[in-house]
Amino acid sequence: MGKNVLIVDDSSTMRKIVTRCLRQAGLDFENIFEAGDGQEALQTLQKETVHLVLSDINMPNMDGLSFLRAKKEIEAIKNIPVVMISTETGDDIIGEAKALGARGSIKKPFTPDAVNETLKPLL
Amino acid sequence: MELLKPLQDATVEIFATMLTMDIVPGEPLAAMEQLQTSVTGMVGLAGTHQGVLAIHMPAEVARTVTGQFLGMEVEEINDDVLDAIGELANMLGGGVKAILSEKGRDISLSLPSTICGAGYRFQCMDDVEMILAPFAIAGGQRFFVELQLKNAV
Repeated sequence: MGKNVLIVDDSSTMRKIVTRCLRQAGLDFENIFEAGDGQEALQTLQKETVHLVLSDINMPNMDGLSFLRAKKEIEAIKNIPVVMISTETGDDIIGEAKALGARGSIKKPFTPDAVNETLKPLL
Repeated sequence: MELLKPLQDATVEIFATMLTMDIVPGEPLAAMEQLQTSVTGMVGLAGTHQGVLAIHMPAEVARTVTGQFLGMEVEEINDDVLDAIGELANMLGGGVKAILSEKGRDISLSLPSTICGAGYRFQCMDDVEMILAPFAIAGGQRFFVELQLKNAV
């Protein structure tokens, strides 16, 4: 059975770009789910089988850090790996994301090689 | 003007990496004229530095850029165009934040917003350092990156 990924970003353009980039990086997913913020992402994770989450940090309603905080309190989904994809590069913010359970981070703008390098070990 | 070169470099990198588009920086301008049939994406910066980063694109350039982003032809200024130009501003804002802030917590970025119209002026703050950097895409059409910034410390 193939793997499923959830892309969380308030920009529909960015969700499409990440989808294309996954393909260019040679990462084949059976299903690609999308969510526009952390709240939607939590709902999707509790409804669908997801093996990996790629999440933006700055989003309306529920941002990426709040999403990580909420996710780790839900037993059924807390171990699903999350990688942050964001314009945020500061040590404080990325460090907090990792302390909340993020398994890696990819800086926007990104290349398929950078995506492959970060995600391959998690699949 | 010490931010000009890093801002130009960040813009060129974003276009090369995310859009596979080569763009050519031009000489900075003193002021923006009234924008005609354009799209502007912007993000605010707050904290140790305050200001706004904006990217102004004539509608035709905005359609070309969005088409390149999405891998499809874009015939009108629609939600996809507004979203794409907002996301460009977001990435550029992130680039500016990375230049100004090593740790990340001392400057916050707003969510991006986008405006478009037949004729408008862009003005946000008084008493700021202003950089207005033009860039040319293939075919010679130009767009503009504007940074208005003041040190709040």
